[in-house]
Amino acid sequence: MELELSLSPPYQKTPSIINKSFHGGDDDRCSSTVTRFPRVSWNQDEDDDNNKRFFNGEYQQDMDGDGEGLIGWPPLHSWRKRFMEENHSGGEGFNGRVDEEGENINVMNNNYNELLFVKVKMDGVGIARKIDLNAIHSYQMLTSTLIHMFHKYVENDEDGASYKLMYQHKDGHWLLAGDIPWEMFIQTVQRIQMVRK
Amino acid sequence: MDPNQKRAKAVDRVDSVDTGAASSESTRMCPFPDEVLERVLSLIGSHKDRSSVSLVCKDWYNAERWSRRHVFIGNCYSVSPEIVAARFPRIRSVTLKGKPRFSDFNLVPEDWGADVHPWLSVFSTAYPFLEELRLKRMAVSDESLEFLATNFQGFKALSLLSCDGFSTDGLKAIATNCKNLTELDVQENGIDDLGGHWLSCFPESLSSLEILNFASLNSEVSFDALEKLVSRCKSLRVLKVNRNVSLDQLQKLLLQAPQLMELGTGTFMQELVSGPVTELKNTFSNCKHLVTLSGLWDATPLYLPVIYPACARLTFLNLSYATLRSIELANLLTHSKSLRRLWLLDTVGDKGLEAVGSCCPLLEELRVFPADPFDQEIFLGVTESGFVSVSRGCPKLRYVLYFCRQMTNAAVATIAQNCPDFTHFRLCIMNPGQPDYLTKEPMDEAFGAIVKTCTKLQRLAVSGLLTDRTFEYIGKYAKNLETLSVAFAGSSDLGMEYVLGGCPKLRKLEIRDCPFGNAALLSGLTKYESMRSLWMSACNVTMNGCRELAKEKPRLNVEVMKDEGSDDSQAHKVYVYRTVAGPRRDAPPFVLTL
Repeated sequence: MELELSLSPPYQKTPSIINKSFHGGDDDRCSSTVTRFPRVSWNQDEDDDNNKRFFNGEYQQDMDGDGEGLIGWPPLHSWRKRFMEENHSGGEGFNGRVDEEGENINVMNNNYNELLFVKVKMDGVGIARKIDLNAIHSYQMLTSTLIHMFHKYVENDEDGASYKLMYQHKDGHWLLAGDIPWEMFIQTVQRIQMVRK
Repeated sequence: MDPNQKRAKAVDRVDSVDTGAASSESTRMCPFPDEVLERVLSLIGSHKDRSSVSLVCKDWYNAERWSRRHVFIGNCYSVSPEIVAARFPRIRSVTLKGKPRFSDFNLVPEDWGADVHPWLSVFSTAYPFLEELRLKRMAVSDESLEFLATNFQGFKALSLLSCDGFSTDGLKAIATNCKNLTELDVQENGIDDLGGHWLSCFPESLSSLEILNFASLNSEVSFDALEKLVSRCKSLRVLKVNRNVSLDQLQKLLLQAPQLMELGTGTFMQELVSGPVTELKNTFSNCKHLVTLSGLWDATPLYLPVIYPACARLTFLNLSYATLRSIELANLLTHSKSLRRLWLLDTVGDKGLEAVGSCCPLLEELRVFPADPFDQEIFLGVTESGFVSVSRGCPKLRYVLYFCRQMTNAAVATIAQNCPDFTHFRLCIMNPGQPDYLTKEPMDEAFGAIVKTCTKLQRLAVSGLLTDRTFEYIGKYAKNLETLSVAFAGSSDLGMEYVLGGCPKLRKLEIRDCPFGNAALLSGLTKYESMRSLWMSACNVTMNGCRELAKEKPRLNVEVMKDEGSDDSQAHKVYVYRTVAGPRRDAPPFVLTL
């Protein structure tokens, strides 16, 4: 599987449609999700100025400040969006959590107002993701989550052994993850990087 | 009320319809005394029927206005509170809607208007015995809530949906002062959540509560206060708590209120202790009247089975906050054969929808929301195949809201064939302007199939790559269509013209990001007065076009919202609506009424 990130879904690669990404690879501007909105040319005729001007211009103007895409699209209420943001840390993997021994983990009562999102970037992958570390309780769970999140970029690698996990301490320097107890780790981690060995 | 006094009252006719009964002073059309007529008319609930009744003759107009107890105002600016109060002297219940629907998606700036306070001021003198207030998309302040709580002695029911401008302090005022409160429903608003203390403000003497919904508030309320409230309100039938209420706490609440009909749970995950699981299952089993279940945040296969005993009786299951996978849903649905309404997250996938098709033959309404709307991975969520599976197994479907990342014309045609009774069809292909992913053609034929086959269609939302042909179909075939939502669609003015030229029952038209210009806007000149409203944003309409519309149709309010930094001649956001109240007097500086 190629690691090269294709920025637009495969079905859109038809001759009559122009695809262009609105975002470069600038991590600092990337939020947890990068929305790619193609410029769509309605007609085969590229010289149809009216349509071209209309769509290209309008899309650009109506982009959300934080780069999440068009304002008010898809049409979802803000309370639902809020819920989705809270669940963005790869929620699917957490249904019925078990630890290494197969026992159900004591889940602390999460205070849902406290989310601890950190950015995670994987070498070679243009898009960064974010995870909520408050929903994760061990390094083991962290690695499983990350594998699940980035699985399509990892070549047939079940345990991610060809990557090492680095994190940026709040002091700014980068360290290897796993040396300090988890509770201390989440106090100091600023961001995470999966580095190819 | 003295009948003689009534007959002498001047008729404040709002509409100028003259039924030719002006001479009925001496020749009474109606053989019944007023009281009998009023008594008969008081049995008519539907406001549409009541409107028809009021047009029959003067006597009926009067009898209707005196017997009306509930008034429904679909657009708060279409009429003024003074006019309402003058026409209907005995109102006990008001439903009021304010902002255009696209305000739910942040397309309307803050401070646009729809303030409820002017209404409350008039009502405090006109309807001191007001009992119920239901607001949707209104601006509500804490001061207004306090005013409401202290000026209406018999006030019973407050329901706020999609409103904003208030905080939990306003709720404190309601809880403290409304001695006869039966309903407090504040889900899904832009509430400034300052803490959960408001719930503790219900006095110990208050035991009349029937409906309590605070599901979307974030702060913890005092569980002790909640438990005591629930236990003394024996008529409580709807209880929807927020996520902070744990399973253990839910258990305690359900023991106090086995009579509940609608339940919104708190979080459905906690430390595993074997005791409570079986107890919880029994508790659910004892809730013999439960027909609606929602909440279920963080539900996992661990605890979901506790609701199985209650599932057989459920008619409405809202799982749109539970990130379930297909297998979890399938297991759940085998117990839920009576479902009429089902809301899901697309984490269940097409396989989950297959289970819906197999298990829920009585299903009438399905809503599938995207768990990750901004993620472009097309292998997530649901596709056309899931929708088709549901349509095969659920021929009674009439209401669908479906968010997906891919769709085909053929699939939608099949769906229409399987479910010809659609009244509400809202399809959202999340990538704007996306064609049929197999044929690469526009999605015109899909919506064509829907409008041709589903003759009862009242509400339609379209998406995907659409040319004017879609609108030609809509205009020609959608004879019962009342609400149409359009985004990123159409090729020219013709599209909108087709719709305005057809669709005889059209009431609400909302359009964003389409290439419709002045010609299209003006083609609806004769139609807008028969509609509630028109919204157009990011289209090709100019100020001149709007001015012309305003000039030709003085009984419409043509409002343009100015956008900072945009071309002054373009009308970026246009909101047109019929009104008998004239131009708004409370319009903020960025709203121009032409």
